[in-house]
Amino acid sequence: MQPIMIQLKGIHKTYFGAQPLHVLKGIDLNIAEGELVSIMGASGSGKSTLLNILGILDDYDEGEYHLAGTLIKNLSETRAADYRNRLIGFIFQSFNLIGFKTAVENVELPLFYQGVGRRKRHQMAMEELEKMGLTDWASHYPNEMSGGQRQRVAIARALATRPKIILADEPTGALDSKTGVEVMQLLQKLNREEKITMIIVTHDPGVASKTNRIIRIKDGVIEE
Amino acid sequence: MIELLSEIWQTTRRNKLRTSLTGFAVAWGIFMLIVLLGAGNGLLNASNENNDRYVDNSMMIFGGQTSKAYDGLKEGREIELDENDLQITQSRFTQNIDKAGAILNEGGATITYGENYVSSSLRGVYPMFAEVNKTKISTGRFINDIDIRDQRRVLVIPENQARELIPNNPRALLGKTVRVGDMAFTVVGIEQEDKSRMSSDVSVPFTTLKTIYNKGNHVGRIVFSFNGLESEADNEAFEKRYRATINRQHRAAPDDEESIWIWNRFTQALQMAKGTNIIQTALWIIGLFTLLSGIVGVSNIMLITVRERTREFGIRKAIGASPANILKIIITESIIITGFFGYIGMILGILANLYMDATLGSKPIETGLFTTTVFVNPTVGLGTCIAVTIVLIIAGTIAGLMPALKAARIRPIVALMAE
Repeated sequence: MQPIMIQLKGIHKTYFGAQPLHVLKGIDLNIAEGELVSIMGASGSGKSTLLNILGILDDYDEGEYHLAGTLIKNLSETRAADYRNRLIGFIFQSFNLIGFKTAVENVELPLFYQGVGRRKRHQMAMEELEKMGLTDWASHYPNEMSGGQRQRVAIARALATRPKIILADEPTGALDSKTGVEVMQLLQKLNREEKITMIIVTHDPGVASKTNRIIRIKDGVIEE
Repeated sequence: MIELLSEIWQTTRRNKLRTSLTGFAVAWGIFMLIVLLGAGNGLLNASNENNDRYVDNSMMIFGGQTSKAYDGLKEGREIELDENDLQITQSRFTQNIDKAGAILNEGGATITYGENYVSSSLRGVYPMFAEVNKTKISTGRFINDIDIRDQRRVLVIPENQARELIPNNPRALLGKTVRVGDMAFTVVGIEQEDKSRMSSDVSVPFTTLKTIYNKGNHVGRIVFSFNGLESEADNEAFEKRYRATINRQHRAAPDDEESIWIWNRFTQALQMAKGTNIIQTALWIIGLFTLLSGIVGVSNIMLITVRERTREFGIRKAIGASPANILKIIITESIIITGFFGYIGMILGILANLYMDATLGSKPIETGLFTTTVFVNPTVGLGTCIAVTIVLIIAGTIAGLMPALKAARIRPIVALMAE
């Protein structure tokens, strides 16, 4: 048994709007180091909220969340940013590259926020791009690349800081099916070869079937 | 820092028109500030130059007319200053008064040299007159103590009047004997011409003039230089004491303010300095308010920028930017825009000042009696440029603060929202 990477205990989350909305109703979940897991659920199931909490983008009301042995609770914005930077790599549905920066500058960005020097940063970013087979595209802007290439730049950016986990939100959602399959294969390979813990949020059963474990959420609770 | 600057260059480049329109408002504000301050300095310098003709710490006393009945005498009596007053001025106020003297005037004197003559007027003066009035001698000397003691018949003539007597070489008049009316005088000095004054009189020793023209006991005006009166209150107290003393000599009420007139050049200079400060403050305020519209403009486009870049800031935060990182981007951008356009405004303002200096500044105005210049060196100093730089940095920070706080509050969740 691998050591536990993510441990959720009795997580509750309520959005207090005009009508209080109890979104997560006691989530218990353990994910071991090196696992490749998918989270599935219909819209409104609480899937996105769970992803926000896992990604330290949002706080929760009750319970405990341990990430790589660290309790993640009531963090200041600066601390949260620091943890996100060092522990988590994000892959988004719409890539979320910064349009006025070149591919390599995009990959450098998280390293910049880590305070890595200019030269070192560039070198590390180039290594990541090389792994993605994008060395020739390093000085191109995102709008000069195809969707698959952009998503690979985003993956390189997520990997640049050597995070503990990768959180992918619908990573193939904006890609055609052929490219989507290629991206999934890439993620699987990274999981297998680099032993990176990976959590993929998706509603695509085809994507979910490529993962080792599928976690289904319905009405704010896990039904495994 | 290099990263930050190149990033700001990348983003502002995308909105050239918008940025330069807003920048224009800032440049205009600073331009106005510099031009106003420069023009203000020009006016103040010109008035200072006019006031600079006298030594600040001197007073001149004139006889007046009593305004109060006192000691059995009716009001409306003429008071004429006499030898006794001069004596008292010299002996009783030694604590404050350095040198005291008097000035007697005698109009309608014709000065003749050979065939040439010039109509002038005489003034009998003490040697200290030259100091108080900053008289400049171009050749020879001014009236001295021996002239006074011996009642010598010597005179100091202004250069423009000397030119009437020897047109080609007025300075050759030095040492020559001229006639004043029927009497022979020796020219001991030639006074430098000062175009900013009305035509000057011919100076002769006080005692000489008094004797020749039978002035009796009268001394005309008393003039003295003083020391140790630093504040306006000091000066007022001194004037009160002095007035009371002189009034008593003439059986006038000690507090009668019209029996003698005191012209205190020091308090006048103090008031001028106060006025100068007020004018300069007012110019700064006007300039800063002009700049304010520029600041509001910059603040406005920064708000738009933040709105446009909401998603980008969300992404940055998701991948590890702290609120402080985001704050820094916006504030720096704001300071750079404000500073860049502010400096353009400043340079244009300085050029406008130089233009003013070259045109108005060097064009004397001829009034007939004297010439004057409206603007003297209408420029701003290095101090103002440094002050303006600080103003720009503060202005940029203020302009960027609200948008920056707004940007720093953007939640990283926006990065996850579909476009």
